[in-house]
Formats: sequence, structure tokens, C-alpha cells
Amino acid sequence: MEVRLSKLVMIILLIFLSFSVAYSSTTMHTNNWAVLVCTSRFWFNYRHMANTLSLYRTVKRLGIPDERIILMLADDMACNARNKYPAQVFNNENHRLNLYGDNVEVDYRGYEVTVENFLRVLTGRHETAVPRSKRLLSDEGSHILLYMTGHGGDEFLKFQDSEELQSHDLADAVKQMKEKRRFKELLIMVDTCQASTLFSQLHSPGVLAIGSSMKGENSYSHHLDSDVGVSVVDRFTFYTLAFFERLNMYDNASLSSLFKSYNPNLLMSTAYYRMDLYQRHLEEVPVTNFFGSVMKTIHTDSAYRSLSNKKIGTAKTRISLEQSISDSDTIILRNSDAEDQYNNLTAEKYLRDSVGQIWSAILGSTFESIDTFVCYGLILMLPLLIFSTWLSK
Amino acid sequence: MGANENSSAKPRVRPIVRLGIFLISHSNIVSLVCFLAGVVALLLLPVLAKNTYISENALMPGSANNMLSTHHVSDANKFIKDLTDLELRSMASPIESQKLIAQYMSALDAEVTFHKFYPQFSQFHPLHFFTSPDSGIISKNGTCSSFGVNTVGIIRAPRGDGKEAIVLVTPYNPNKVGLGEAVSLGIAYSVFSLLSHATWLAKDIIWFVADSQYGEYSAVASWLREYQAPVFHKVDIVTSETCNESSTFDELGQGLYLDGKLNGDFRRAGTMAAALVIKVAEQGNQYEDSLNIYAEASNGQMPNLDLINIVNYLAVHKQGLRIKVKKMWSLLDSWWLNTVGIIFESLGKIARSLNPQWKFGIPASEYVEGAATLASSLYYQGLGVPTGPHGAFRDYQVDAITLEISPKVSLTKVIRRNEFILRGGRLIEGVIRSINNLLEKFHQSFFLYLLTSPGKFVSVGVYMIPFALLVAPLPIVAAYLHSNASSSTPQNPSTLGVDANHKSWKWLNSARKVLIFHLWGVVVSLLPFFLCQLPNTTPTMNFILWGFASAFSLLILFFISGCPIFEAAASQPEKNRWTSLKSVTISTTFIGLSLMSVINFATAEIGALLIVPICLLARPLKLDIQAKSWRTLLRASCNIALGFVLFPPVAFVLLKGAFEDFYGINVGDYWNWVESLWAWNSATYLYVGVVHLPSWALCIHILFHPC
Repeated sequence: MEVRLSKLVMIILLIFLSFSVAYSSTTMHTNNWAVLVCTSRFWFNYRHMANTLSLYRTVKRLGIPDERIILMLADDMACNARNKYPAQVFNNENHRLNLYGDNVEVDYRGYEVTVENFLRVLTGRHETAVPRSKRLLSDEGSHILLYMTGHGGDEFLKFQDSEELQSHDLADAVKQMKEKRRFKELLIMVDTCQASTLFSQLHSPGVLAIGSSMKGENSYSHHLDSDVGVSVVDRFTFYTLAFFERLNMYDNASLSSLFKSYNPNLLMSTAYYRMDLYQRHLEEVPVTNFFGSVMKTIHTDSAYRSLSNKKIGTAKTRISLEQSISDSDTIILRNSDAEDQYNNLTAEKYLRDSVGQIWSAILGSTFESIDTFVCYGLILMLPLLIFSTWLSK
Repeated sequence: MGANENSSAKPRVRPIVRLGIFLISHSNIVSLVCFLAGVVALLLLPVLAKNTYISENALMPGSANNMLSTHHVSDANKFIKDLTDLELRSMASPIESQKLIAQYMSALDAEVTFHKFYPQFSQFHPLHFFTSPDSGIISKNGTCSSFGVNTVGIIRAPRGDGKEAIVLVTPYNPNKVGLGEAVSLGIAYSVFSLLSHATWLAKDIIWFVADSQYGEYSAVASWLREYQAPVFHKVDIVTSETCNESSTFDELGQGLYLDGKLNGDFRRAGTMAAALVIKVAEQGNQYEDSLNIYAEASNGQMPNLDLINIVNYLAVHKQGLRIKVKKMWSLLDSWWLNTVGIIFESLGKIARSLNPQWKFGIPASEYVEGAATLASSLYYQGLGVPTGPHGAFRDYQVDAITLEISPKVSLTKVIRRNEFILRGGRLIEGVIRSINNLLEKFHQSFFLYLLTSPGKFVSVGVYMIPFALLVAPLPIVAAYLHSNASSSTPQNPSTLGVDANHKSWKWLNSARKVLIFHLWGVVVSLLPFFLCQLPNTTPTMNFILWGFASAFSLLILFFISGCPIFEAAASQPEKNRWTSLKSVTISTTFIGLSLMSVINFATAEIGALLIVPICLLARPLKLDIQAKSWRTLLRASCNIALGFVLFPPVAFVLLKGAFEDFYGINVGDYWNWVESLWAWNSATYLYVGVVHLPSWALCIHILFHPC
């Protein structure tokens, strides 16, 4: 009977555990990704590339590392012959900030930016030859920021002057991502004309969408750089950036404060939010949850058995720990690069670590017994030595 | 189902066929209504004109600040001074000024070449009407002594791919450099010096200084021919052997060759995206600096409307120049046009009072201006002769316009001139920067349009309506006459026994006659080719000879075909012959007009306005006079008047008189006009010879038909 009971308990426990694992809403937010897409070509669309690069710079500043940003730029304005400032891209006419400085990693450029590649990135269905740096290697604990800019219309977004991404395509890709547990939460931010129409087909939970304009509205550029001779930034992106310029990664500004910061008079269009698929209250979600790489961190009293060989001062929560610890003692901590590397370690490695510990425990105890054995042996040898010297006399 | 339908198989006529039959049976009223509607629609065009807008996103005119500074202007002034000083020294050969220009160009690190060409003289090439200009047709008339030298400077875009180029053209006469020409060169130089160190160029810049001593057009055309269609076997060999003159040409570049900056061979940049011909008018416009735009190329081809739009936008909004396009000045104070304008204005007011949404009607003064501009646009397109050297570019599908900038006051004052150069230079710079942004050929905006003001246009979709209404009665009346002719014959007892086949093919007789007249038209159009060969003739003599030869050839053609011109006595079956003849005449006129509308729409529109009334009205005078009612007499007099007016030389003289004045018109003018048409390979010449003249002659033939 006892055996049976324990088995039953085990099974119930297992089911409960597996359920909690499968149900991703209970999965902890563990990492951040950003997919930034500029879909339009040609010199007069300079501003779209500047938009995307500005956002790239912002999310990087707020803590998402390059290897977690997929940057797609449909054209290279920096090297366009018409650019008065070769190899530089600006998003403001004051030319204070060169967006195309060092350390810009463009993952998809020029004609690589296609609807097909975009959908492959989202759904993770790549050809085998595609390197890891060009893949969105997110998991069920990922928060993904998807930013798109270009020319849009009613339920479509133009890619490269030759293709269109339709709202159905986007919704389908998001659904596939959900099925494949590629994200925990997804923020889609679109700066195009009639941006809101692109979200009309979405119905996967955990998706939050912001568009720069309602159906029938245009999204306008913010200002013209009369030195370069083109418009350099779009209004929606400009005011988004203005919001983030005031923030650093330790700020606790919430998503709702971002959404409230859009003034329709300044945008000359109405920003649109689709929140019905999103469970959390926007007031409680810091913007850095998407635009940075800041996540809920749990402070525990116990030693980090599993993490003892890591030189990290932060406590990472795992599924098993999550339920036992209340939210009250969570603090927000910076997610350093070293930690990111840790994040790349999969459960496999985690397992290996714990096995290693057991092994070392066993080994430790063995060593202890040998020590005493040697000590006792040495002590035992002392009378033998005395005895032998006494004999040799 | 099928059986049911079969059982009730009453021959049901389709609605469209019924409509056709209805139209044909009421052909008189239909043709009157259509024709009047066509004329009204034509008069309405200025009202229907839309504002121009920049259609191509990539152009972004005026989005960049002007970089042309007073520094560039002072350089340009120095250049102008050197050029005019050279002129004053008078002893200097024309070569000197070209050398000077080349030196200035090479000082800006441009590639400089000289292009030597032999001018082509107007000659009648019967087979060159629709062929593209051929590199092989180096004129044999060009003698060794007369050759021109164009100077070409090319700036390569520093980071461009070298596949595209923008061309600046400044025509000037090296034998006598006027101040206007010098200033136009100065403006081009100031822009060129700015562009030589611009980092934003994506297209190469070609500054083409055309040697206009043998005409601006021929200099540009010969350079373009060499640029676009290179000759691999040099025709020059003949000339270099026979002429000593080439030594002066060699001498030209000697100083520069030593510097290694001059390139001996012909230099090319990429495909031409656009070309701007810059001219400066010497006499001042009293009110303000203004800009004239000339756009018409051969056979009514127009550059893309976007090119005009950017020039218009930059000139008006950035440089504050007053912009103008050609107008028919004589129309401006014509009472009838003013009346029409007032009528349309009041109609517009009534419409607006009924429904404020209807934005119909423009002020009468604006209407008259628009109509005058429209008439000039229609006339110059219809003429088919380019209005400037930009026409040579259109032959190679390059969009080009001529910008003639005229200053407010005389350019002799240096301060005033500086400001003028700055304005002109900034305009050119802005246009070039805008075209530089272009990614493809101009293609977004219209190619088929008529301008009613620099900022208003009538697109092809609108101006086709009047033409369609004008020619619509022709097939209807032709069908009516044909059915009439064939239905009336069986009533005649004498023809009852005749083979039915013969009856249905009766119209072939008329067709033969029509064919003969059209053949005659071809012969008449070809006659000037032979008349040209005659040495030492005056235009008047040529014209008279041409007239006699034409009449003679008509007689010969009828003699050969064995078809009597004037049937002496009409036998009974021939009574209705004139109807079938008229039917075929109208059909061929309709076909001719429709074909012409494809080649040169404006010609077809004007032609339709002239020829359609007589085609519809023509009726044997004998019948009308016999009837003796006031209606028939009126028709007969109308016919006679129209028949007189539409004789091509008379029509020419009347039109010329209407738009200019009758003073000093002589018979030779028509010959001169026709000569200019064929010299420019204008399809209008063919239209007049092959469509208008035979149709007119056939109508006259019908008028005097014995029946």
C-alpha cells in the first residue's frame, strides 16, 4: 500500500510538474530578443533605415546584446552615393549621433530582407546552412521585441518594393511561434501608414501590438535634414526614441507610460495599441522588459548549489524554485554579458553540473578517508621505525 | 432548356447591335451632336486642367539646402569676364574661346574633350520620317571648311557607379559671344564648379558647350548621335585627307594635351537621365526675373511632366522666379474666347450655387490665359518641330527641356548680374540634385499632356475625349451612307437583273477612286524631294512648280487608271455613286485621323477639327442647288467656303494670319513652312500630304459630282 501511495504521489507530482513546464505563462521570463526590420529600399526611404538603426541603438543601450538582435536592413543608405556623409547615418539634423558607427551588426541586408526570410526568422525554419547569428534562438522564456518600419497599407507591409507581408502572414507566423514555444511575450511595434491594420488577424496570447497609425491614417516623417536632403526620422519612432532617451536600464518606466507618451497631435496620427491578447497590466510591465534585457530576478537565501561554479552574484530562478518563492523579495538586477552566456547553457549542461556535484561529493568523501588512512598509517609507521632502529642497534 | 430556346427562336438582336442601328439611322442628328460636343469639350479643356504634382517620390525637389555660394558666383564672373574680354580682343579666332572654356573645365578636374562635327543641312529624306537618327547619315553636304567644335566636360560621381549621367547644355556661338550666352555659360560654370567637389553625386555630370554657329540643334544632335550610336569605321578619314582644316582642330587642344587633362578620344558617361538646356535672354523682362520653359520635341513628344514639375516647383518656391510657358498672345484679347470664358465662369457659379461640392468653373481671365497656353501647346505639339535643342535628346528617349532665364534688367551691371547668376545657378543646382536622387528613368508622371499653365495640365485621358467626339460621327455617317447606297439600288428596276455579287461589291469602284486620290497624295508629298534637287530656286518658284506638278500628276494618275474624273453624264445607276464615294472617303479619313492620333495626337486633334465638318457636309452642289430651299443653299455655300478654306496653303495662310498677322505673307511662305516640316522629320507633313490633302480633294470631287 505504501509503495502504491508513494507512486501515486510521484505521478501526481510529475503531472503537475510537467503541466507547469508546458504552460508557458507560468514560465519565467529568462531572456530578451529583438527583431528590427526596415523593409524599404531606396534613398528617399532613408528615414526607415534611420528609424531601425535608432531603435537598434536604443535596445542595445538598454542591455540587449548584439547576438540577440536580428537586424534586417533592406538598403544601405550609409554607402549610397547620394549620401553627403559617406558611411554615416543620422536620425537628427543636428548630426550629433552617427547611428552607423562601430559595432553595428546587420544580420540581413539588402535583398536578403524578404518576406520569406522574415518569416523564417520568426518561425525558426531555416536552411541548415544559416548561421546561428542569423537565427532567432528564442525559447519559451523569451520576450521578443519585433519592430518593423517601411511603407504599409491596409493589412499589408511592403517589402523591398516587390513583395508584401500581409496581416495573415504575420498572424500565422506568430501562431507558429507560439506553438513552437518561441516566446513568452511578444511586443510588435510597427511604424508604417495604417499600421494598426497589420494586427487585425493576430490571436495568439501573449502578444502586445503598437502601431503608429489607425486605419486610413498616414504616418509622417518628423523632419527633413536639409543638409542630407532627405527626411531622417519618422514621427512615431522619433517620439518613441525621445521617450527612451530619458531612460536608462535601471528605470522602472512602464509600458503604459510609453503608450501614454504618444501625443496624436505631434504624431499627426493616432497610435494604436492592441492589448486584448496580453494578460499582464501594462502599468506593471517595465518597458525594459522588452526594450532592454531586464527581467524579474529572485533573491534566495540558500546557496546556489547548482551555480556554485559560476562567478555570478545574481540568483537565477528556475522552474522548480519559482513556486516556492514569493514575489515580494524579487529585485531587478542587471543581466551582464557573462550571465547571457550562461543563459545560453541549456538544461543539458545544467544537468551535467548537478551530476558533477554528486560526483565531487563522492570524490570528496573518498579523499577524506584516504587522508585519515595515510595519517593513521604514518602514525603506525612511527613505532615500526622506532622498533626497527631499536632492533638494528 | 436548349430546346425551349430553339423553339422560341425569334431572331433577337443584341442590344449593342440595336444601339448601332439606332445611331446609324439617326446619323444626322448624332453627328451634329457629337461634333458640337467635341468642340465644346475642346473649349472646356482649360477648365478641366488639373494642378501638376510631383509624382515620383524619389525626386524630393528642394529638400536639400542650396550649396551654391557667392564664392562660386565670383568664380563664374571671372569666367564671364575672361570670355567677354576675349571677344573684345576680336583678333582671337573662335578657337580661343573654346580653349578658354576647356581650360576652365580642366581646372575643375573635369575630363575635357572636344567634339568636332560637320553640320547637317536640311534636306528632304523621304524615308527618314519614322526612323531613328542614324549614325551613318553623316551629311555629304558638310564641307571641310565648315565644322563646329563642341566642348564637353565630364565630372565623375565620386561614389557613383558611373552608369548614369545628367547633361547640362549651354549653346553659344564662338564667333560672336553675346552677353546672354556668356552669362548662361557662367551659370553653368558656377554649378559645374560646385558639383566638381560635391560628395553626393550619384550620376556623372556632363557639361556640354554646344557650338551653335551652325544652329543649336545640329550641334547637340551630332554630339548625341556620336554619344548614343558610335561609328566604328571612321567617316572622318575622307575629310582628314582632303581638308587642311583639321590642323586647327588639332591645334586646339595642344596646350591641354601636354597637361594630360584633355582626352583625345570621345568620352562618355552613363545613360542620360535628363538634360537641361540653359539659355539666358539678353533683353530684360521689365517686371521680374522670369523663366521660360520649352518642352516640345519632334512630333509632339514631351518630356516627362515630372521634369517640368520640379523646375516649376524650384523656380517658384525656392528662387522666386516667374515661370512662363508659351502662349498664343493673339488669343488673349480675342472677344470670342473672353465670351466663352465668361459663359463658363457663370456656369460654374450656377453649378456651385446648386451644390457647393462642384468645383467647376474658373475665372474668365484665367480661362483665357489657360486657353491661350493650351492653344500654343497644341500648336507646337501638332507642328512636330522641336522648340529648342532639347528636342534632339527626346529622339533618344532622354527627357530634356530648355530653360530660358530672362533677367529683370540688363546684365551689364555686375551686382545685378551676380544676383542673377546666383538665382539661376541655385535653380539648376536644385534641379540637378533632385534628378540625382532619381533611381530610374523618369516614368512616374505623364508623357502625354497639354499644358494650360506652368502648374496646370490636361492629361491624355481628358484631351482624348474631344478628339473621340470629333471623329465619332465619321464611321456612323459612313455606315449610314453605305447602307443607304446599297439599299437604294435594288429599287432601281434596271439593276435588278444585275448579278447580286456585283451590287455588293459596288463600293469597290469608289474605293478605287479614293485609292487613286490617296496615291496622288503620296506623290504630292514626294515631289519636294525632286524639287529640292533643282538648283537656284526661290521658295515662291518652288511652290508654283509644286502646284503644277501636283495637278499634272493627278491627271496622269487618272489617265493611267482609266477612270474618268468628271463623269460627263450620270447614267441612272450612277446616281447614288456619290454616296458610296463619300462613304469610302469618310472611312479613309477616319482611319487616317485615327492613325495620326497615335503618332501625333495634337496634329490629329487639329486635323479633325478642320476636316471633319467638310467630310460630313459634302454633298453635290448640283443637288443642293436643284432643291432650292434655303437649307440646301446654306449647305452649299458652307461647303464652298469650307472647301476653299481647307485647301492646305489657304488654311496655312489663314491660320498664320489669325495667330500672327497677314502682313508680309507671300506664296513662298507655305513652301518654307513645309520645308521646315520635312527638315524636322515631322509626321505632320505626312499627315497633310497623305490624309488631309486627298480627303479635301475627294470632298471637292463630291461637291462637283454630276448627278
